[in-house]
Amino acid sequence: MEKFAKAFPSKPLAARTAKPWALAGVVGSGNLEVLLERGGRPSGTMECHVETSIPGYKASWLAALADFAHNYPAGGTKVTINDQGAPPVLVNLRLRQAYDHLIKGDK
Amino acid sequence: MREKGIMNTAKSALRRQNKAQRLERVGKLARGKFVSPNNVPQVLKRIIESGDILCLEGDNQKQADFLANQLATLNRKDLHDIHLVMSCITLPAHIQLFQKGMIRQVDFCYAGPQGTAVADLVKAKKFPVGAIHTYNELYARYYMDLTPRVALIAAAQADRKGNLFLAANTEDTPAIVEPTAFSDGIVFAQVNEIVDRLPRIDIPADQVDLVVEAPYPMHLQALFTRDPAAITDVQVLMAMVALRGIYEKYEVQSLNHGVGFNTAAIELLLPTYGERLGLKGKICKYWMVNPLPTMIPAIESGWVESVFAVGGEVGMERYTAAHSDVFFTGRDGSFHSNRAMGQLAGHYAIDMFIGASLQIDINGNSSTVSKNRITGFGGAPNMGCQPTGRRHPSKAWLKVGAEANPGPGALPGRKLVVQMVETFQSGRVPTFVERLDAQDPSIRKALHGVAPVMIYGDDVTHIVTEEGIANLAACRSIAERQAAIRAVAGYTPVGLKRKKRETEELRRRGIVQLPEDVGVRPSEASRSLLAAQDIKGLVRWSNGLYDPPPQFVDW
Repeated sequence: MEKFAKAFPSKPLAARTAKPWALAGVVGSGNLEVLLERGGRPSGTMECHVETSIPGYKASWLAALADFAHNYPAGGTKVTINDQGAPPVLVNLRLRQAYDHLIKGDK
Repeated sequence: MREKGIMNTAKSALRRQNKAQRLERVGKLARGKFVSPNNVPQVLKRIIESGDILCLEGDNQKQADFLANQLATLNRKDLHDIHLVMSCITLPAHIQLFQKGMIRQVDFCYAGPQGTAVADLVKAKKFPVGAIHTYNELYARYYMDLTPRVALIAAAQADRKGNLFLAANTEDTPAIVEPTAFSDGIVFAQVNEIVDRLPRIDIPADQVDLVVEAPYPMHLQALFTRDPAAITDVQVLMAMVALRGIYEKYEVQSLNHGVGFNTAAIELLLPTYGERLGLKGKICKYWMVNPLPTMIPAIESGWVESVFAVGGEVGMERYTAAHSDVFFTGRDGSFHSNRAMGQLAGHYAIDMFIGASLQIDINGNSSTVSKNRITGFGGAPNMGCQPTGRRHPSKAWLKVGAEANPGPGALPGRKLVVQMVETFQSGRVPTFVERLDAQDPSIRKALHGVAPVMIYGDDVTHIVTEEGIANLAACRSIAERQAAIRAVAGYTPVGLKRKKRETEELRRRGIVQLPEDVGVRPSEASRSLLAAQDIKGLVRWSNGLYDPPPQFVDW
């Protein structure tokens, strides 16, 4: 088990989103859930909280989250991740899915 | 029996005389062409001579396993200095020939299931390899410097004259029999059964010297069956990205798919996602691929004009027989395949080859070899390469060619050669590496200086990962190609070295594309998009004509 938090610079999120929060994925073996919430936070950063069952990959997590904050306007959001040993390739997909749900209201 | 006008001097018939002597030695151990299973080891001793080039039929699916097992009962004092030529080192019996010291040299293509044993033999210096080949490369050498003196082959049925029926798994047999039979070599076939009347004749009796009805049917591997239940959301995302960013963009009409789950996902998205994009009739019409069960939904939905195969697939016999408009079949409907011709089609006549790999280096070279596992190539490099002998145009070929900006002394077109991989393999092993394991000095030395690279980076036009697409054909320098590869290498050590500015510049020029850049919504990337969710779903799509092998049936 490893737990860490960090805020990354990001362009402000669109003024309007379809939903105030969005969830992607499930907490289950080999999977992870991403909760994305808006509101009440500095608009220039994406605030991230990660809890993962597999320690030792902090650098990869931070790199993936920094890239996401850079590629998508997500300033002012809070990202909470509960990871149960998801393969690394799944992290970005779940982040993108949660973001899609938040902006466009899918699901 | 000398024909008028054909000179038959003693000197030019030495090989023929030698063949006659060998068959004479068999004598009463055979009745006509037919050998009883018990006599096979004795017969092998008499027809094979030490120093021979010996071809043992066996590829990644079909095996002359009875003959191989009988050969492995012999010893070094019976036979030695054999030059073994074969498509695939697959069976424990093959390894025994090396352990017993019977082999002087081996030339082969692939060693999938015995990859670890081969690596051990290399370490023990008991693996005197000439070269690891691609399939058509080895078949070509059967006609040049590696013509077999004896070929031990496998067929489904023989009739009383020795004509052979090869059933769905024709595969390598014609490519082995022709050069052997037409050079006074000996062709010895194991068959599953001897019958009065064959459904069709694949090899005429005239080219067959000896036949044994094996006590057990030849080994057939269900190699191309992928259970849709094992396809992940990430693979669905990659399939969506490939469909939009490559299939749709280049209007890919003729293609080959690898055997992995990534391309299985694409096949299962055609009737759902592909249909919604309006791509039916525009892409994926002509296939050089084995009868993949995961293609059933696309075939049933009318996407597929034709499928030619290098081999059969266990369980697809009734389905293919019922779809002779799509598959190549005998007059009786029985499925037909041909590895040499299929590879030729995959070399010259397809818009795209798309497959996966275990390792890709920073220059785009890929390999499935690791220090502890030497597998080799099979047929992928025959298709995953640029055929510089191609002259006919197609939309896709010209479009990639234009992107590659050929110089005045180059071909105007290019084949799409696509590597589709997740950035990590299972167990968090990175797919992208700075240097391939295949470049290990001990492996290079065993292969006489040649590193076993599966697909060369210069041939690759695109790499697709869960991060997006890197268009290598459009890169203008080695440095740019390396930056494009790092950009889609995710959070592997190779990917972490990318520079944000470089990646952004490549993205601006369309050389690197994220899923969003090709119009894919990641929120849609879900298994629920697959036309079939599991093997049972495939059986339903087939209207009960697909008979999955027992290991895939859990109902």
